[in-house]
Amino acid sequence: MLIREVMHLNPISISPETSLSDTYNLMNDNNIRHLPIIKNDLLVGIVSDRDVRLATSKFAKTSYEPGTMISEIMSHPVETTRPSEPIEVAIQTMRQFKIGCLPVLDDYKLVGIVTVANLLDAMLLMTGVHYPSGRLDVRLKDRAGEIAKLTKLIADRNINIHSILSYPDANGKLRVVFRVSTMEIRPLAKAICNADFEVLWPIQASCVE
Amino acid sequence: MLIELLKEWNVYKEPIEPNAINPVELEAIHDSKYIDAIEQVSSGAVLNGIDIFGLGNSDNPISLGMAEGARYQVGGTVLGAKLLIENKAKKVLQLGGGFHHAHHNLASGFCLYNDLSMAITEMVNHGWHVAYLDIDVHHGDGVQEMFYSNGNVMTISIHESGEYLFPGKGWLHELGQGSGRSLKLNIPLEPFSEGDSYFEVLEKVVKPALSWFKPDALVVQAGADAHFADPLADNLLTTHDYEKIFRQIIDYADKSCNGKVLFTLGGGYSSTATPRIWALLYLILNNLEMPEYLPENWKNHWEQILGKTIPNTLHDKLPAYEIIPRRDEILKINKDVIRRLMDSVSQYWI
Repeated sequence: MLIREVMHLNPISISPETSLSDTYNLMNDNNIRHLPIIKNDLLVGIVSDRDVRLATSKFAKTSYEPGTMISEIMSHPVETTRPSEPIEVAIQTMRQFKIGCLPVLDDYKLVGIVTVANLLDAMLLMTGVHYPSGRLDVRLKDRAGEIAKLTKLIADRNINIHSILSYPDANGKLRVVFRVSTMEIRPLAKAICNADFEVLWPIQASCVE
Repeated sequence: MLIELLKEWNVYKEPIEPNAINPVELEAIHDSKYIDAIEQVSSGAVLNGIDIFGLGNSDNPISLGMAEGARYQVGGTVLGAKLLIENKAKKVLQLGGGFHHAHHNLASGFCLYNDLSMAITEMVNHGWHVAYLDIDVHHGDGVQEMFYSNGNVMTISIHESGEYLFPGKGWLHELGQGSGRSLKLNIPLEPFSEGDSYFEVLEKVVKPALSWFKPDALVVQAGADAHFADPLADNLLTTHDYEKIFRQIIDYADKSCNGKVLFTLGGGYSSTATPRIWALLYLILNNLEMPEYLPENWKNHWEQILGKTIPNTLHDKLPAYEIIPRRDEILKINKDVIRRLMDSVSQYWI
């Protein structure tokens, strides 16, 4: 998944001369937390609602007046991303620098912004929960052909797979979580179990007959 | 099975015959392209690209005449709504219907046309506020979605959590949008939830919800698949629990909407439990006595067909199953679900 698929288009931006109070009100009115700062069509800084609140707080070492220009407190240079970057790279950048958003630049122009919220939405999309479906959780040997064997079993029953999520498990195994379009997930799980896969959900040990 | 059982007991009344709804009327809730596709493949046409409508997979295979069948089901439930609107009846039982997974343009979970949403729409168009209660073990996603931002319709679904069960929806945070906010209630229960949790949900959520919303009528999807013997899900209701739940719902209807209630059936995949549960509903609604035993003829006949043993009593024998090791924890989690839901809606219910 690429940044262009999850980013927020045409973000609101401000000039370096904008006052702290105008910046804060703009954030409040638009229910946003970050504002890129643009001068002569170039990105020169970024500011978060927390930066503004801290700058005017009595707790701050230097407390600024509400009329101060944003260029006084903005962060720069700015960590950015580009539309064609995979989201996993952007996420690592954000984690590394402990920041909550990345402006998206294309040929030095600001074209979008991506925040933690966009990336959480992307994550949710990948889990396939938006489609009516059942959840199947299988532990696989991490080697060639295992997923193919498993998906063939599902395909043979004419069941559509809406999403596949996988992640490494202990002992060199792989966890694969499917969302499949069937109400009859138990018979499916049983068939998969009989084919010698380790099914973690739905659980097999039914309490009752 | 159910009708033969009722006939064997000499309690079966001929139902009022519905007309099939016509396809154009369905456009009130379904996409016309979706309706077209179903009608066409149902009469034998071979179409490409119908998988976007959820058709032609293992849960929603294509069979000849399925569209007409589904339209009869809708017709039945809509007729039920009309009987209530025209004051010709106070309590209606549609011995079918309950296709709560059908979406605007998506067939899902054995459902094509959403009879419940059509019936609710009929009532709303009459100016009514309608409460919808779904006790099927699966979340009533189709109905909820169609009325998600509608302020005239309250939907309440009590189901096994989407964490574990199809359709993977019905979370606490799905509270409705716009004027529908706080009118969409979901109670996702832990797997292996028992009667006690259901009674608590009825008392602490359904009762206050209905008494606050004051609907003109209650529509109930009475799925029987929360029974302990159901093969598709995990919850553990017994027939005794079902009887209590049905009586409780009717009591709420009497108190909150002048007794106007429309019951449909729904899911129920245990052939030995489902007919007994819906027979109970039929007997209760008709104020009939509960026979203790099932008729020998009926039992023998169906045991031969099914190749399974059917209990000889209407009710399950207790204890119906072994004690669940996680029982206390399940009860605790469910109580917490109720508390969180009520915390979320209390700010709106003023």
